Amino acid sequence: MMERTYDVFARKNRGDALCHVGYVEALDDALARVYAWKTYDEEKWFEMVAVPRSAIIPVNRADGPFAGARPESEPERSP
Amino acid sequence: MTGSSETIQRLDPETRKGFRRLILSLADTKRILGIRYSDWLLGAPSIEAGIAVSSMAQDEWGHARLLYSVLKDFGDDPLEVEHSRDASAYASVDTLDRPFPDWSAVVVGMVVVDGVLSSALEGAGSGAYEPLSGRVSKMLAEEEFHGELGRAWLRRIAESSGVGRARLRERVEEVLLPTLRGLLPTDPLQGRLVEAGLTASSQELRDRVREAVTPSLELLELEFPVVEGQGEGWDPDRGRGPGHPLEEAVERARGDRNRALFVE
Repeated sequence: MMERTYDVFARKNRGDALCHVGYVEALDDALARVYAWKTYDEEKWFEMVAVPRSAIIPVNRADGPFAGARPESEPERSP
Repeated sequence: MTGSSETIQRLDPETRKGFRRLILSLADTKRILGIRYSDWLLGAPSIEAGIAVSSMAQDEWGHARLLYSVLKDFGDDPLEVEHSRDASAYASVDTLDRPFPDWSAVVVGMVVVDGVLSSALEGAGSGAYEPLSGRVSKMLAEEEFHGELGRAWLRRIAESSGVGRARLRERVEEVLLPTLRGLLPTDPLQGRLVEAGLTASSQELRDRVREAVTPSLELLELEFPVVEGQGEGWDPDRGRGPGHPLEEAVERARGDRNRALFVE
């Protein structure tokens, strides 16, 4: 059984920006949902979502936590 | 009907006894289930799973505290009930008397024991006693994640190895029937509660459990059991099978060690 990384985003109020609050390691989407909610439950969130890190496409950075999903052929873009 | 102690005192003695038994059974089962989850805070297969069972233990203890507090309407002192009873007085379901021996048992605990317990709670919450009906919906919302975690893990283990699947089957066969009997009884005392509109019928609640657990049972190629009677050694006063939780768990439930540190 292989775990993968899910990034967790949440907003406190309707209309707030969705913020990156952390990550969880989970075997599948169902476990990621529970882990995200139970791990980051210190706030009363209006909305929380979990995204497999592999589904995140880096746009302009070749470093940082999301760089692993970046296609190798894609060059880094300047800000 | 209102939630006042007068309302409880107006119930006929047998119905009042049965209703107190139901609330104590729910509260004690949640308290002991919290202890059983807490055993796995550091032994779960991942940090995330440990955090989840830690949170679930807190949920169960919080729910138990709320349920114990309702007992004041019966003339009980909730603090006495929580902190002064012997293990032999506990009304928790007998399938929690011993610790979960492995992670498969924890998972079955989430799906089966916690699932049946939530159905029993839902039944009491749908009854006419307001202090319960007002509190149960929030508890059930928190419980949704317990079932979801259990079902996801059960599916994972069942699909990953023959050994894991066999262990799950064995555990479900061990606990499903006695848990249904204990938490959704069909004895005369429970029948009085249904007649008085204080809870839903156990048969109806068992049907809801069947619907909820059938996908998990199908993964394990198991059938929902036929439940007849209350089984040998049924204790109608406590509403559970024979025996009691291990003393060590009750010491923790009562908080004996913590209270020993208090300075008067």
